[in-house]
Amino acid sequence: MSVQAFRLVCASGKEHLPAGIQIECLECSGHDLYIGTSDGCIHHLLLVEENGTESAELPLGQQLDYPNTSFTTTRQNQRQLGVKKPICELRAASALSRLLVLCDNTISLLCSDSFEPVPGTKIRGVLSFTLNENPVSDDPFSVEVCLISSKRRTVQIFSVGQERVQIVREVATPEQPCSLAADGYYLCLALSSRYVILNYNTGHCQDLFPYPSEQKRPIIKRISRQEFLLAGPGGLGMFATVAGISQRAPVHWSENVIGAAVSFPYVLALDEEFITVHSILDQQQKQSLPFKEGVILQDFEGRVIVATTNGIYVLVPLPLEKQIQDLLSNQRVEEALVLAKGARRNIPKERFQVMYRRILQQAGFIQFAQLQFLEAKELFRTSHLDIRELISLYPLLLPSSSGFIRTHPPLHEYADLNQLTRGDQEKVSKCKRFLMSYLSEIRSTEVANGYQQDVDTALLKLYAEANHESLLDLLVSDNACEVGDSAAWLEKHKKIVNGDLEDNTRPDLFEYVVDFLTFSKDQQLVWQYVDWVLQKSEQIGVQIFTKRSLDEQLQNSFCPDKIVSHLCKYRQALLLFLEHLVMEKMIQKEKYHTHLAVLYLEEILRLKSMDSSDHTELEDLRLRFQKLLRQSDLYRVLFLIDKIKGTDMHMEQAILHGKLEEHDQALDILVHHLKDFAAAESYCVWNSEGREAFYRKRLFQLLLSSYLNPSTPDNTLIVAAVDLLNNHPKEFDAASVLHLLPEEWSVQLLSPFLSGAMREHVHALRVSQMAVGLAKAENIIYKKEKLNMKEKPVVLSEKKLCHVCRKPFGEPVFARLPNGHIVHTYCATNQHVNSSIDHVPSQSKRT
Amino acid sequence: MIKKPDVKVVLLGDMNVGKTSLLHRYMDRKFQDTVSTVGGAFYLKQWRSYNISIWDTAGREQFHGLGSMYCRSASAIILTYDVSSKQSLMELEDRFLGLTDTASEDCLFAVVGNKIDLTDDYEGEEESEGERPRTCSTSKVRKQVYLEDAIALYKRIMKYKMVDENHAPAAEKMCFETSAKTGHNVDVLFESVFNMVIPLIVKKKANGPEDTINLSQESTEKHTKTGCC
Repeated sequence: MSVQAFRLVCASGKEHLPAGIQIECLECSGHDLYIGTSDGCIHHLLLVEENGTESAELPLGQQLDYPNTSFTTTRQNQRQLGVKKPICELRAASALSRLLVLCDNTISLLCSDSFEPVPGTKIRGVLSFTLNENPVSDDPFSVEVCLISSKRRTVQIFSVGQERVQIVREVATPEQPCSLAADGYYLCLALSSRYVILNYNTGHCQDLFPYPSEQKRPIIKRISRQEFLLAGPGGLGMFATVAGISQRAPVHWSENVIGAAVSFPYVLALDEEFITVHSILDQQQKQSLPFKEGVILQDFEGRVIVATTNGIYVLVPLPLEKQIQDLLSNQRVEEALVLAKGARRNIPKERFQVMYRRILQQAGFIQFAQLQFLEAKELFRTSHLDIRELISLYPLLLPSSSGFIRTHPPLHEYADLNQLTRGDQEKVSKCKRFLMSYLSEIRSTEVANGYQQDVDTALLKLYAEANHESLLDLLVSDNACEVGDSAAWLEKHKKIVNGDLEDNTRPDLFEYVVDFLTFSKDQQLVWQYVDWVLQKSEQIGVQIFTKRSLDEQLQNSFCPDKIVSHLCKYRQALLLFLEHLVMEKMIQKEKYHTHLAVLYLEEILRLKSMDSSDHTELEDLRLRFQKLLRQSDLYRVLFLIDKIKGTDMHMEQAILHGKLEEHDQALDILVHHLKDFAAAESYCVWNSEGREAFYRKRLFQLLLSSYLNPSTPDNTLIVAAVDLLNNHPKEFDAASVLHLLPEEWSVQLLSPFLSGAMREHVHALRVSQMAVGLAKAENIIYKKEKLNMKEKPVVLSEKKLCHVCRKPFGEPVFARLPNGHIVHTYCATNQHVNSSIDHVPSQSKRT
Repeated sequence: MIKKPDVKVVLLGDMNVGKTSLLHRYMDRKFQDTVSTVGGAFYLKQWRSYNISIWDTAGREQFHGLGSMYCRSASAIILTYDVSSKQSLMELEDRFLGLTDTASEDCLFAVVGNKIDLTDDYEGEEESEGERPRTCSTSKVRKQVYLEDAIALYKRIMKYKMVDENHAPAAEKMCFETSAKTGHNVDVLFESVFNMVIPLIVKKKANGPEDTINLSQESTEKHTKTGCC
């Protein structure tokens, strides 16, 4: 209950007021303060608010310091009404510059400056009256006066203008009313036994609740549109709407409440010893100020004034933001939030949003400091907290490059986590776990927008520190970790991999690291850790380079030369990398090809020298080597032949000879040393690939002769030769083969070859015949085209004359002489120019 | 900003039958010592997409007069008695039923016997919860009100309201025996009441705001008073 919502400031003590005065009622409008006394006198004072600071007129929320408000009162005029009876009520109608005074059951209308009565405007027989603050009539030159008439059980509504009063309505009430308030058509009345809402337009009367008005003074206070606050049984302040419904829980006053006032979001009540302040929002008591001998507590246009019989005090509200801050600093988050929400309607929207966000954030940090993480998270989320505010609480989590500075004024009082937890390590780790989960939750949402790097780096550090398995997921995913800082992390991380392997639940951790390095753009970082990775595993480590995109390799420091020279210590890695370059990237550089071939060779020899070694590995390596030798034309063949000589790598040797076009030697090796006929055949095939048929035939012929001319007669060779012939009849020039074949071979034996060869020959013959025929036809087509191009159309017109008779043509028929002249057909027949005249009659279109 | 409640549920009953405790148990999930309610208390419960305001009234005679205001336009009234006090059931009929005259026309009624944990025998034992503290078994008292009495009361209420029994929810569905102390049946009570109240909200919304009592004449006034939040 320690909110300070109001401060009691003395506006005028005894010294400012006339001696012996006894205040009966008050009215305050702007700077004008009117006092009605018990002896029928009205005093007019000027009440001027003075603030100690210049910022006094700043709106709510910006006055962070105590406004040092004080009041000066200066006495204006005063007037003694005719009778020495107490002034019961005073109301100012400032728009009309009139003052309504109730004295001796009569309302008089006074001019508010001179206090001169306006003639003919008295309303007699009035017990009590009120001004309707929310009148139905929108006439600006009149006010609506609702009054309890001295006629029994009657209320009256008057319209009061500057110079006239007019009764509008008179309504009977079920019981004698003794107090009233008005809103629109509704009058809230305290009858002798209960409160009612009376609609004076329809006369409908709605019961509220019983109240013994004769024993206890009723209080009716309009608090907002269509809602009243009433003194209820047991010292309750009851809220009731015009519909007769209570929408808020009651506030608890003391039994002997004298007066009540409203200053949003508070209701104030005066009793004999205290002024109590309750919040309308949560109905809780917020403050109580000791105040004795109070007789009046009223609010006037938002200003709350309390008075004793001879002193006037103002209850100055503290700025809402100050109150909220006080609540926050007392860790009363709930109340602060309720108050902040309630303040929405008192503060311009934009200002409110800024203020409210800040309050939510502060509240979030308070909850956070109490380790109420769920609540804190919700508050941070709804207030769009700059996440770095939170991260910055944790020492060293923000990347060193981050230019983040905490907002000013600070959202919380903590320098860092250690201060917040007072060094309690358990709490620290709880906080870290919270941040970890929070960051991982938001890192892909818009909350992290713009601070991706900060968030990811912080998260990475947290993960690394906690040896959290999600670290790896973070690394593989698209992250924005700041690399400089990550290096330090990596150092730490490396320790984990090298040292505490049994701690490690993830066997694929290493791959993750490699993956990370592969996609890292930071060259320095990669070079720094590549040795470590390669020492762990060359095969996997080399992926750092092989899986990089090519253009990256070419432009920056990941150029192949540099990598190769770096990798020379790691043979296997080097092998894989060169293989990648040559086979996948198809880089055409002799250096790499030769280097790779030599590496293969060395590796094969090394494996061979170790007898125990795995045969499949060796075979695999040799296949790769052979593949290279076959596919590539760039390596230095002679160099390799030199190296390979003396080993038993005949296949490779044969391939190398083939590269040198030394096919007889190559085939010799294949046939006589390896006796691998299939290989020999495929040798012929791939070596002649892309060459003309003749070359291929020559190779097969060579192979055949090497079968047929063995140094030692061998049946298998004969069989191979026959098979070769029979299987590839197309590949041979049959005529020359026949010379080579031994005489004793039967036709039967060679029949597949012979028929195949025959067929091939016939086929070839027919193909060529067809080609000749097609070529001739093509020739004719061309000739025709040529003719067409040369000939032009003959145009016959009236102007054209027959070349023979020099007369024009009468009919569309003519003859054309070989020299191009055109003549009448009859002229052509008549004129026997010479026997070789060629009649070319042709039709022509008229022009 | 107070969210406008869609519907009102009111707890009525003699003092010391456990209205506040029932609400505490339901809202805060715990049983705690309460002091006598002064005036009334108010809770807002988010139930599905609706805001339900629940009013906890004061049972003391002193605040009796406030009851009919609290009940005004209520959509459901939970009449609460103490199973170990016949008097508390009788009070419902004698004193509290009259207060419900201001409730909305189609108001639902539930009759709830609380403090079932204090009695040694009661029907519906099969639903009792294991967490019931053992300490209470020593101070068992005789049950004074049986479920049949509550059902009979419910039927009399329907008669008083002049509601055809066939149209009203069955008495067996609207009479509950609960224990705020152990939590027995408390959620069942509130949730079944809320579930039955929601069709009323939908109906009320469909009828439009002009159909609510007493406001029909002020439509002109409403138009002049715009611009408020």
